[in-house]
Amino acid sequence: MIDIKHISKTFKRGSEEYKALVDVSLKINKGDYISVSGSSGSGKSTLLNVIGGLIRPDSGEVIFKGENLYDQSGRFLDFYRKRDVGFIFQQFHLMPYLTVVENIGLSCYQKSHADAINDYLEKCSLVNIKDKYPSDLSVGEKQRTAFIRAIISNPVLLLADEPTGNLDPQNSEIVMTLIEEFHKKGGTVVLVSHDPVATKYSNLNIEIGHGSIHIPAQTFGK
Amino acid sequence: MNPLRLVIKELIYRRISSLVILFTVIVASSVSIAIYTLSKASENETRKIMREQGLNLYIFPKGTNLIDFYSVNNTQTFPEAYVEVLAESKTFDAVRHLTGILQVKMPEWKDGNGSVHQIILFGYKDEAIQRYLSRQETMGFDVKKGTVQLGALVAKNVKPGAPFIIEGSDGKSHSFIVAKRLEEGKGMRDQGVSFHLEDLQILLGMEGKINKIEALGCICHDGRIKNARSQVQDIFSDLEVTEISSIAEARENQRLMMNKYGVFIIPFVIISALLITGLLFHQNVRARNHEIGLLIAMGRSSYTILFMILFKAFILGLVGGMIGFFTGSLIAEYVGKEIFRFTAFSIKPVWSIFYYTVFIFPLLWMISSWIPALLATRIDAARILSEE
Repeated sequence: MIDIKHISKTFKRGSEEYKALVDVSLKINKGDYISVSGSSGSGKSTLLNVIGGLIRPDSGEVIFKGENLYDQSGRFLDFYRKRDVGFIFQQFHLMPYLTVVENIGLSCYQKSHADAINDYLEKCSLVNIKDKYPSDLSVGEKQRTAFIRAIISNPVLLLADEPTGNLDPQNSEIVMTLIEEFHKKGGTVVLVSHDPVATKYSNLNIEIGHGSIHIPAQTFGK
Repeated sequence: MNPLRLVIKELIYRRISSLVILFTVIVASSVSIAIYTLSKASENETRKIMREQGLNLYIFPKGTNLIDFYSVNNTQTFPEAYVEVLAESKTFDAVRHLTGILQVKMPEWKDGNGSVHQIILFGYKDEAIQRYLSRQETMGFDVKKGTVQLGALVAKNVKPGAPFIIEGSDGKSHSFIVAKRLEEGKGMRDQGVSFHLEDLQILLGMEGKINKIEALGCICHDGRIKNARSQVQDIFSDLEVTEISSIAEARENQRLMMNKYGVFIIPFVIISALLITGLLFHQNVRARNHEIGLLIAMGRSSYTILFMILFKAFILGLVGGMIGFFTGSLIAEYVGKEIFRFTAFSIKPVWSIFYYTVFIFPLLWMISSWIPALLATRIDAARILSEE
């Protein structure tokens, strides 16, 4: 589905250069559940954002539906993020002035998406708080809201950046289960996490360090 | 969700910041509108005084004895077509408003009681405005055909709408409708009757003739009489120019001074407010960088982000401009009365600039938010959203 070929990305901070990704190649097939682990600053989030069309690599290609994403127009990338990708972040990033339903509605671009909101709210036990604002929600409720927002428009790819980083074990389990359900329905997941628990759901675990990826042999065919 | 709704929700959520921006728009528009309204009132009052006082210039047939003219005993006439010639002339640019007048004494006029009086008849031609100068409202007397305006002394016991009957040079009675009774204190017009020029010419059998041109709104402040005199005489050697300046000149100077202040203060206030608003918008964008980053990650285009910031500026500019129009008009009306005693009764909302207000202020505030809006489209969503 997505073929990442020889991606490199270097960031400059003042006079210093920091190599976030060095000649990274990776093939993501439809239905994959890939977990990416590594220490802070290893390049995990950079890889996720390159896949998500948010960071243009210095070299290499990200092939999606036969086209290199970064050879396309800005409009194409906007559409790619809107229709094909769903993001979940550690910090939830809910709009403080929108209710739960309205935050989820931000991702809806078809009537069928809006129609499905209530089903998801029920599934995620958020029905009773659907008209509340983020300031009135617990962290678990915030992340569940962010999860629904990410998948409500049926993206083919779910990119999760430390989705359980701010959650207690109970809420982490709930969110990981929700992601697993998305995967079981045919969704493709790339999940970046420090949490070793995250790897138990994935069929491919990638370790990343100093910008290079390492795929432990035992994870193949999981 | 509709971007417009998102903008409104954000406006309400960050109400303090929105109110501060709105306040700067209101201050800028109120001050501008108040100054403009006062300057317009001052200009109108000046025009009135100039008209009443006999300024700026009179153009008479050459050799007219002014003592005779003002006692209305003897006047020479000239063709009324001269007015159009002057108005259309490229070389006569000293005066903006030109009104052809026929002013004649009627020694024997019988009032309603049958008493005989000496009155003065004025015939006013529709005002001509110099074609090659910028357009302005007309300043001259507006007497409609078939009607008359009666001076205070002639109008005693006569109501507006009543017929005014006068004998013409043909010996027949001519009837006109009294359109207006003038207040006292109009000088010679207190004992006069004002007609439309054509009506008076027919009444007196003086078709196509006038005996003076009132030239108002002189734009040659320094040495105007010299300029105007030479320009008129270059075109019509049988005419001459007389200036009667008095209080009106002082009022004209006051008006020019007000305009000078306005030209400085209005841009200063607006530019200051725009700079402040630009900074406030920049702050707003910084406070919202996670929200904007999220919208970018969700596939919202740069145009949508740009539109959302500009639309917010548009709303605040529109609402602030409208509130500022009314506030500024009120300030001009109430504060202005204390400052400008002469113009106190002329201070009214200038509705013609209301339409400019609802167009210009949103536009200006969209311009002030342009740079913050551009910066918003360049937010590094990946970095912002990955921050812990």
